[in-house]
Amino acid sequence: MFKDISFEVHPGEVLAVAGWNGSGKSTLLRIIAGLVRPSRGQVDMFVEDRPIPRESRRRFVGMVAPALALYDELTALENMEFFCRVRGVSYNRKSCLSMMQWVGLAENAGKQCRNYSSGMKQRLKLVQALLHKPQLLLLDEPGCNLDAKGMKIVEEVISAQRQLGMTVIASNEKRELDYADRVINLSE
Amino acid sequence: MKNGSWITQTGSSTYLSEATAIWLRDLRGEFRTRYAVNAILMFAVTTLVAVSFSIGSFRIGEAEQPFLYAVLLWIILVFSALSGLSRSFVKEEEAGTMDVLKLSARPQAVFLGKLWFNLTLLGALELIVVPSFILLMNYEIKHPGLFTAMVITGGFGLGAGTTIVAAMIAQASARGALFSVLSFPLLLPLMITAIKGCEKAAVGMNGTGWPEVRIAVAYSTVMIIMSLFLFPLIWDE
Repeated sequence: MFKDISFEVHPGEVLAVAGWNGSGKSTLLRIIAGLVRPSRGQVDMFVEDRPIPRESRRRFVGMVAPALALYDELTALENMEFFCRVRGVSYNRKSCLSMMQWVGLAENAGKQCRNYSSGMKQRLKLVQALLHKPQLLLLDEPGCNLDAKGMKIVEEVISAQRQLGMTVIASNEKRELDYADRVINLSE
Repeated sequence: MKNGSWITQTGSSTYLSEATAIWLRDLRGEFRTRYAVNAILMFAVTTLVAVSFSIGSFRIGEAEQPFLYAVLLWIILVFSALSGLSRSFVKEEEAGTMDVLKLSARPQAVFLGKLWFNLTLLGALELIVVPSFILLMNYEIKHPGLFTAMVITGGFGLGAGTTIVAAMIAQASARGALFSVLSFPLLLPLMITAIKGCEKAAVGMNGTGWPEVRIAVAYSTVMIIMSLFLFPLIWDE
């Protein structure tokens, strides 16, 4: 796994993390999100120059990753309702439906997620990660299972996130790395 | 559309609102899948029927009935609970939703939401098993108030104990065996107290201050408070 890594990401910036399989891209994102403790070193997060402790970081982080699943037995809309309520975002069915419309899932909003294709699930994960307007968006292989329309949505998300905060992408896909202002290669 | 523009208002969540959201989500999920309910009820019903047919009231002497019936009732309740309540955290691990839950809610809120869910299941279990047991075994209870209080507080302690153990074993490999092994010593003092309390209720020994009920309340309180401190450490790694 990686060692001696040090970098800063600033608001409006998009950073990409590349590297061979097993180089630790996903682990690095999980460490940044606060899901895993690093064996050495630390992650410091500041919002309006205020340091954010690790246990409070979740309020400022949105994450999409292949290993991060949604609730299959719930419908897409019920998933949205749950994540709104648990994150303290006021739930509004109409605005959630318009969000689903944006990612092309409005017609299937009432379907249980177990019946979704992997691409549809990936679109829903994007919506879930954005519900609370996170300052830091972590995208682990965001184009995973997405078609051309889905990739266009990812592009829009990354572009809009420049206004809200920062984005860190873990990927080896050239198209996804092209969205970034800087690329860190963990294999080097 | 710009991302984030669809949400009209972002506020701050409280422990209560987070725990309630998790509790309702678990209830909704359980209503659709019925994994835990099926496991618990199938175990409870088959054991109840087996007990009532094999050692029905006519085979136990009247003097032994209060104690033996209390033992049988709590064996059915405890082992039925053990057969299904471990699912509360294991299902998150198996479905891959553990991380998204960690990113969405505070650890204490997750624990409370899961505890309420397990208590709801236990409440439903007791509502079915206890009256059925009384009817099938012709269980005579001279002090119904004490008996009801013992069943409720005992159920509360059972829920509190199994919820924290379920969290501890969720990421282990041999979950089923580990859940029973860890739960048993933790639940044994509660089980002994609940059996004693139900026996006293059956013979009509009212006593002063219902000591067994007070012990069960103390057990539940200590278990919940300790779990709220311990759970973030379990949840974190």
